[in-house]
Amino acid sequence: MDVRAQVAMVFHLDKCIGCHTCSVACKNVWTDRPGAEYMWWNNVETKPGTGYPTLWEDQLNYRGGWELTGKRDLRLRCQTKASSFLKLFYNPNQPGLDDYYEPWTYRDQDLFDAEAGDDQPTAVPVSQITGEVIDIKAGPNWDDDLSGSPVYAENDPNLKHLTEDERRMLFEIENIAMMYLPRICNHCANPSCVASCPSGALYKRGEDGIVLVNQDKCRGWRACVSACPYKKIYYTWKTGKSEKCILCYPRVETGQPPACFHACVGRIRYMGVLLYDADRIEEAMKAPEASLVEAQRSVLLDPDDPNVIRGAAESGVSEAFVSVAQRSPVYRYVKEWELALPLHPEFRTMPMLYYVPPLLPISGRMGDGIYEHGAEQFFSHLDKARLPLRYLAALFGAGNEDIVRTVMKKQMAVRYFKRAQDVDDIDPEQVKRILREAHLTAEQAEAIYALTALGSLENRYVMPPIQREEAIEGSGGPGCSPESCKGTCGLGAVQPPRRGA
Amino acid sequence: MVNSFFFIGLPYIAVFSLVAGSIYRFKSERFSYSALSSQFLESKKLLWGSVLWHAGIMIIFVGHLIPFLLPGLWQSLTSQPAFVVAVEVLGVAAAFTALVGLVVLFVRRILSRHIQSVTTPVDLVVLALLIVQILIGIQTAAGHRWGSMWSVQTTTPYLWSVLTLQPDLIHVDSLPPTVKLHIAVAWIIIMLVPFSRLVHAFSLPIQYLWRAPQQVIWTNARRIRHIAPVIRKAEESRRLFLKGALGLGTAGGLLTVGVMDKLVRFFSGPNMTPEEQAALLQKRLERLEMTAEERDLELERMRNDYIFVANLKELSPKDGKYFIDYQMRPALAYRDTTGLPLLISAKCTHLGCTVASSVDASGRILCPCHISYFDLKTGMPQPGSPATKPLPLLGWALMDTQGNILVSQAPDGRREGEVPADKLEASMVYIAKRYEETV
Ligand code: HEM
Ligand code: SF4
Ligand code: SF4
Ligand code: FES
Repeated sequence: MDVRAQVAMVFHLDKCIGCHTCSVACKNVWTDRPGAEYMWWNNVETKPGTGYPTLWEDQLNYRGGWELTGKRDLRLRCQTKASSFLKLFYNPNQPGLDDYYEPWTYRDQDLFDAEAGDDQPTAVPVSQITGEVIDIKAGPNWDDDLSGSPVYAENDPNLKHLTEDERRMLFEIENIAMMYLPRICNHCANPSCVASCPSGALYKRGEDGIVLVNQDKCRGWRACVSACPYKKIYYTWKTGKSEKCILCYPRVETGQPPACFHACVGRIRYMGVLLYDADRIEEAMKAPEASLVEAQRSVLLDPDDPNVIRGAAESGVSEAFVSVAQRSPVYRYVKEWELALPLHPEFRTMPMLYYVPPLLPISGRMGDGIYEHGAEQFFSHLDKARLPLRYLAALFGAGNEDIVRTVMKKQMAVRYFKRAQDVDDIDPEQVKRILREAHLTAEQAEAIYALTALGSLENRYVMPPIQREEAIEGSGGPGCSPESCKGTCGLGAVQPPRRGA
Repeated sequence: MVNSFFFIGLPYIAVFSLVAGSIYRFKSERFSYSALSSQFLESKKLLWGSVLWHAGIMIIFVGHLIPFLLPGLWQSLTSQPAFVVAVEVLGVAAAFTALVGLVVLFVRRILSRHIQSVTTPVDLVVLALLIVQILIGIQTAAGHRWGSMWSVQTTTPYLWSVLTLQPDLIHVDSLPPTVKLHIAVAWIIIMLVPFSRLVHAFSLPIQYLWRAPQQVIWTNARRIRHIAPVIRKAEESRRLFLKGALGLGTAGGLLTVGVMDKLVRFFSGPNMTPEEQAALLQKRLERLEMTAEERDLELERMRNDYIFVANLKELSPKDGKYFIDYQMRPALAYRDTTGLPLLISAKCTHLGCTVASSVDASGRILCPCHISYFDLKTGMPQPGSPATKPLPLLGWALMDTQGNILVSQAPDGRREGEVPADKLEASMVYIAKRYEETV
């Protein structure tokens, strides 16, 4: 057993209002500079939709993630060791500018400098790459809130799991439904980006599992850009390096939540520590698709188990991390309540961000706006939900509908449970039956409610300040104190990132 | 003066710039090391440009490197005509492939607005220089064919002389202007490497071949304390071992190839074919790679006033015997129609290939590289041959078995002593130091 700690997050999608505050917070902190204008380390997509970069989920095109070969070998989909050398010169699977969008700004000064005339002056859009006036064809969130559905939403790769009928139903104007999907790098436990990097610039931090690109080692070979199935590595056209979400580690190290987390209006994000057994990852990621979610769950360890605590100590996980793991909101959602699911586990990278699938569109289906109370009919309506379970299963269950149905039942049961308490219009016996059917106890339902609806910052962000001094000591060599080794920590960049020639 | 600048001064500036510049840049501005890919901004033209260019340049690069690093091996390979033809065809094809790629890359840089925004003046200079260099290279191949053979006589010894800090212009002086230009532009490109994106060629990520898929880096000491005296040591020593092994392996590999080259030659010495013999003789030009044999030869030539060439009766008028003259150059020994020795230099006066030993019906010997015929009697090149200077004739001395000089002849034909008809058949042919030194 090789116990490792991972900083993980849960996104409660029922609470996401699609405001993009997270994206903007992230952009302002990290990617508001030449070469990175087009990057959104945090982006929020409308689903169904094609997303950003367009059709990122289509691995036949981008060839991200791992695939299971006939001999039950886990192999990068994008390259073998030999072919990676050929792809250095030209990578056929790399998304280009057109797959994202051409970043632009406006020539605002024109508004002030324009000659007096009959027409209002306008600020024309200019490309942030060439400086030329451009005709904007696409932008970030071009398909927000289902705009342009016939082009975008209807081409969502996840829809291929639905029948023709289901698809038509989904896009009928009276039925139309959508959800938001905020995405950042998943800081995967089996990252295909790391495995693909020819230079060895990508690595996972041992202490907290954050996946980073060493900018000094990156040579701009771009293998990671196509290898990441979530397209969460971006190529900086200006400096010739690849960059990605750093989970705001300079903030996390000083006890502050990441910028996206901090900014989140809906308070949908939960951050905490998960312990997992690194020795078991490979086996788990070789599971058949339908059991991938369960396989992934089984790699996560119970932080209260004495064996695990001992194993953690042996593997060098600090006591602070273990004690925080025992109070982890993420562990509650993912393992204890089994409510939060990984996004596209079939990419087999073992993503460490988890999503509680949204319930709202389902309950919205009821004609009169009131839930049916009978447990039997109630749950059976799940199958007629506006966002079909099969669609959600394509996103969060590697196609396994049962996994998603179980989660939905739990969420509904919690609502029943609370409604019975607050409005008192449901027979307590029936509530009990519903809870039983959802495999929940009353205490669990109460706890789920409390963390979901009332969670304060202290409940949602349960992290030790990552031992910064220690990290500095480690990276600065022996005898390096934080005092004498200023500049070797944090972002580590003591020079401006000058483009080579 | 101009020659010494371009072929002695410039090379040292270039090599210094390459080594010191690249290391300095790596140490102080590691961030700037990148292939600076522009595929993100434009990919259709890049596909053709980059792939064709790199495929071509890799082949050419290897083709230039092997004759330089392993001249012995290269010579034994190029002694097969089929190999020479194949190499020349491959080389020219690769050059054209690279040229097409480069032109696409250049045009792309000039025309695409997106690419312009990431183009520096150095990018354009480098692309232009590379285009020029390839054109000169193609011109060289067309105008002075069989470079795979003559380069071992000219550019290889020149490069080694530069590398061993004994720059010797003799090897490049007589080269045609195209070849000289090719060499000079090469030095300029090498000089520019650390100031351009060309440094990316040093980053070829070989270590990826054996790297574990996942990389986990611990920054604090805790993991190290706990996990392991054992694992960490193992990890660290493996890393060091791999690094060391790679370095040693490369060095060792080169050394072994070099030594084997010598050894095989040394032991297989006695039963060599004339071609192999010729190849061996030419080796004196590779100063670094002198075999024990060659060192002996050189010593022998330094110490002795006379060097044995052959027994007169072994010599024939139709097929010469290779030997090495006092200048350590290949030479050929024949017996002329009057029964006396005829010694002639075998280093072609054109680009330095070794002249073949057999005499044709009209009494000529042939340099196979660019078809220069030389009259055996006078050494004069036939009209129409690329070589314009005659092959020098060498002086000789005949000795009897007791070591008394019977008769000797200077290169200009002046003879000392009388030819004793009775002792002729048993006499031995020598070359004499006094004749050589006047040459
Ligand atoms: C060692 C193996 C090499 C690798 C892996 C490599 C890789 C690359 C890559 C990835 C690019 C960027 C292409 C893009 O825009 O996406 C590039 C560009 C370039 N490489 Fe190489 N290269 C190698 C060797 C060389 C050599 C030996 C030369 C020349 C002596 C060379 C000359 C160039 C030039 C001139 C460009 C710029 C093309 C442009 O203007 O866009 N490369 N190389
Ligand atoms: S989501 Fe993040 S960790 Fe996972 S493969 Fe992509 S970049 Fe790597
Ligand atoms: S800030 Fe929060 S609520 Fe708003 S889009 Fe981002 S994740 Fe959703
Ligand atoms: S070297 Fe050119 S003909 Fe002899």
